[in-house]
Amino acid sequence: MNDETTKLSRRDFFKTGTVLAGGVALATASLIPYDGLLFASEAPGAKGKWYGIGIDINKCIGCGKCANACKIENNVPRDPFYFRSWVEQYTIKNDGAILVESPNGGIDGFKQAAPTADIYKSFFVPKMCNHCAKSPCTQVCPVGATFETEEGIVLVDEEYCIGCRYCVQACPYGCRYIHPEKGTVDKCTLCFHRLKKGLQPACFEICPTEARIFGDLNDPHSKINYFLKNHTCMVVKPHLNTGSKLFYNALSPEVR
Amino acid sequence: MPQHIKRLIGVFAVFILFFLVLQQVLKPDSFGELGHFRAKAIYENSLRPMHYTVADSCTKCHKDIRIDKDLGFHIKLKCEVCHGPALAHSLYAGNFKDKELPDSLTLYKPGERKDCAICHELNAARIKIQFDTLNTTMVHQIDVLTHHPFDPKTKVPFKCIECHNPHQP
Repeated sequence: MNDETTKLSRRDFFKTGTVLAGGVALATASLIPYDGLLFASEAPGAKGKWYGIGIDINKCIGCGKCANACKIENNVPRDPFYFRSWVEQYTIKNDGAILVESPNGGIDGFKQAAPTADIYKSFFVPKMCNHCAKSPCTQVCPVGATFETEEGIVLVDEEYCIGCRYCVQACPYGCRYIHPEKGTVDKCTLCFHRLKKGLQPACFEICPTEARIFGDLNDPHSKINYFLKNHTCMVVKPHLNTGSKLFYNALSPEVR
Repeated sequence: MPQHIKRLIGVFAVFILFFLVLQQVLKPDSFGELGHFRAKAIYENSLRPMHYTVADSCTKCHKDIRIDKDLGFHIKLKCEVCHGPALAHSLYAGNFKDKELPDSLTLYKPGERKDCAICHELNAARIKIQFDTLNTTMVHQIDVLTHHPFDPKTKVPFKCIECHNPHQP
C-alpha cells in the first residue's frame, strides 16, 4: 500500500473533511429554496400593481384564438415561426411516447395526433412570456434594452436594442424572437398599451372558455388570487428559479 | 513624488474626464432613472395601436344579436372570437348606417365548416372537458367528417350554419 492516497494523515483528513462539509452547509443555507408561489403572495419591494397570469389547462380547447389575436394586436409577422403567444398539443401515448406539436402556433386548429385507442392522455398548453421576476433574459442584455417594470412586466426597448440575440438564447421558455423587419428583439408585452388603458391583454380578452386569467397579485380580491387559491398551480421549469409569474392549473410534468 | 507618477496621474485624469464627458454625451435621455434602462421606453411601449376592442362596444348597436346569443350556449363567447378584431369597426361603422361599409371596416363572417371545427372538432385533447364535472365549460365535440357532411340527394357539402344558428346553436 504505497499509493499516493495513503500519504494523507488522519489529522489532515479530518481537517479537509470539516472544511468541505462546513462550506457545503454554509452554501446550502444561503440558498433560498424555490417556492412556486413565492411571488403570488408578496412582490419584492413593489408597490401598486404586480401582474400575474393564470392558465387553466383543463379549460383550454386549443382553438388558437389567443395566438391569432396576439399576432393581430401586436403586428407580429404572420410567418409560422414568429410567436409571442402560441398553443402546444401534448399527446402521451400508451407506450410512453410524448408527442408535442404546434402547427402554425395552433392558429389553424389542431388535428388529433394519434388514434384515440393509443392515447393515454392528451391536452393543450398555451404558452407565452412568463414575465419572470428574476428573468434570465433581462440579466444578460449588454445594453439595458430589456427590463422589468415595477408592475412585473418584462419589456423591450426597441430604440435601444442592438439585436445581439443574447436574450433569445437566455430565455428558457423560448418566448423571444428577432423581428425580421425591425432587426430588434420582440416579445410579449402583456399588451402593455391595453393595460395602460385599463383593458385586458388581447389573448385574455379573446379566450372563449376563460382559460386565461390575469390580474394583480398584490390585490387579495383579484381574479388571479382567487384562481391561485382554488387550483393546484405550478410554473413551467420551476428548477430554474426564474420567478415565473405564469401559473398553470393541472400542469403535467411532461410539459417543458 | 517622482516625475513619472505625476505625469501618469495627469494622463489618468484627462482620460477619466474624457470618459465622463463621453458618457454624458452618449447616454440616452432618461437612462438610469428607474434602473439600467431608458425610463421613457415604458411610455413608448404604451403607445402602440390597439386592434381589439371590448365586448360591450359591439352590443351597443347589435342588440338583436345580443338577445339571440344570451339565450344560447354561446352566451359567454365574445363577438371578436369569431369575427376578428373590431376596434375600427366599433368606432367608425356607425357613420355608414345606410351606406355600404368600406372593406377596411368589414368584419370577417365565418361560415365554413373549418371555422366551426376549430373549436368543435372531435379531439382527444379537448374531449375531457365534457366529462369534467368541476368545469362549467363544455364545448360540444363533433366528428366533422361524419356529421352530415353533404346533402344525400344533391351531394352538395353542408355548411354548419345551414342547420345551426351560430349565435344560438
